[in-house]
Amino acid sequence: MPLIRKVGVVGCGTMGSGIAVVVCRAGLQTVVREVSPARLAEGRQRIESFFDGSIQRGKLTSAQKEGYLRCIQWVTDLASLADCQVVIVAIYENVEGKRDLFCQLNTMCSPETIFVTNTSTLSVTAIAAGSGRPDRVIGMHFCNPAPLMKLVEVSRALQTSDETVQAANAFGEQLGKVIVSTRDTPGFIVNLFLVPFENDCIRALEAGLGSVEDIDKAVKLGLGYPMGTFELLDVVGLDVHRDVSMNLYHAFKDPRFAPPPLVGRMIEAGHLGRKTGRGFYRYDRQTGVGA
Amino acid sequence: MGDLVVGVLGCGSMGSGIVQVVAEAGYPVIVREVSSAAVDDGLARIDRFMAEGVRRGKVTEGQKMATQKRIRGTTEWGDLASCGVVIEAVFEDIQVKHAAIRSLSSVLVPGALVATNTSSLSVTEIAAAYACPERVVGMHFFNPAPLMKLVEVVRAVQTDEAALAEAREFVRSLGKEPVQTKDSPGFLVNYLFIPYVNQAIQAFDDGLASRDELDNALELGLGYPMGPLKLVDRIGLDVHLHASAALYRETGERRFAPPPLLRRLVKAGWSGRKAKHGFYTYSGQS
Repeated sequence: MPLIRKVGVVGCGTMGSGIAVVVCRAGLQTVVREVSPARLAEGRQRIESFFDGSIQRGKLTSAQKEGYLRCIQWVTDLASLADCQVVIVAIYENVEGKRDLFCQLNTMCSPETIFVTNTSTLSVTAIAAGSGRPDRVIGMHFCNPAPLMKLVEVSRALQTSDETVQAANAFGEQLGKVIVSTRDTPGFIVNLFLVPFENDCIRALEAGLGSVEDIDKAVKLGLGYPMGTFELLDVVGLDVHRDVSMNLYHAFKDPRFAPPPLVGRMIEAGHLGRKTGRGFYRYDRQTGVGA
Repeated sequence: MGDLVVGVLGCGSMGSGIVQVVAEAGYPVIVREVSSAAVDDGLARIDRFMAEGVRRGKVTEGQKMATQKRIRGTTEWGDLASCGVVIEAVFEDIQVKHAAIRSLSSVLVPGALVATNTSSLSVTEIAAAYACPERVVGMHFFNPAPLMKLVEVVRAVQTDEAALAEAREFVRSLGKEPVQTKDSPGFLVNYLFIPYVNQAIQAFDDGLASRDELDNALELGLGYPMGPLKLVDRIGLDVHLHASAALYRETGERRFAPPPLLRRLVKAGWSGRKAKHGFYTYSGQS
């Protein structure tokens, strides 16, 4: 299987920026696309912050950071992705939006280009259906934060060809990831378990079974999880959590997947998490330290 | 610490761990068992665990001996009269616990704190058997107690603020981290953990992914120390089934219902690591 050399990443938000880091760290040419110069600059800031953090922890030199950044091309037009062998889409979690984007890319990219969707809860099959090249569409779900989490869930749509699956698996390994193959089912594996567990923790808080701090302490010390649930939700964002949770609830109609009432209240109050300075915890905007 | 003497009822797998924790924290401990054979077994259990700790370089032989010197085993209820704190860790059955608590009523001073290590029974129901129910709390340790930092401090309906505060402080003095919770089914940790494991067992039964893929995905994707199927093998499928069934009986909530596959595996005798067969197969020494 020939190695992939040039990869497009559409969307440079939380996941897109992390994926771009993964790709350029693997030594591949990376084309990052955002809708506007402002969003592009924000995305670049996210990537630079990640590298700066690595430098602070002594894991990276400044020279290496510059080297990685040189592998990245920053664009706002889709046409610049024409000669990418793989295009990874990590935009807002909405079927129509993703499908339309692939439809546009289909007219610009070479017929061999593989279209990868980083969706966590939507139907890869539905996204593939409107893409113009359904056999070349596949799900590759990276975990947050993508540069640190080794897992990628590869999910084939009903239409995905065997050739595309093999290419995606090889690409994942080229990126240094561990591949788990999943069917095209909502939430695949990781979110299927994480989301209802997070909802159960929120329900425990609503029911007064514990304070925010005590529930996080219980999860970390009693279960050995690396992060408390509320710490994690503040990183993900309450708005993103609600959308992901609702998608799963619509698919399964299982009450465990329904976002509890507190989530809606917090969103209404603007307590979205780290990005607004307050979620379940408060954050000092300057230092980003959790209270 | 002063001159607080701590009593522990029961020296089984949890009781012995709790005795060790308390003694290691510097308290004199009196552990009561039903027979001198049970006392000897319990003390031997502690000795084995601590010997392993010495072998791994976690404690010195000297520290082990100093800890063991603080522990006294007995079959006499009267020997607990000097205890300011008693932790009940007898068999997980309400009749057995009630009998033990009633015996304490006639022995302890009124100001003593009584803590029950129950994981699935109602602390309120246990407290009702004690002469001063407001002095009873839940103090739920995790297995193995010497290694797990978390302790759930449970407020029963009757527990007063003073008892709760004393319990939290006592837990901290053991080098543990208390979290405070209500006397509701599963308290906090099991309430969150049991539905997650049940979901994993059902998903595996439904063919969502292979056993290894399921465990791997959660270990690598979420950073969990152990995937759910590997973990429930270690806990014991029978132990998990018992806890899950108890929660389902009390709440009627579907997420606590033991999945059919779980019952079948337990019926087959495949209760996990200790039986050499659960979701995984284990060879040689566990």
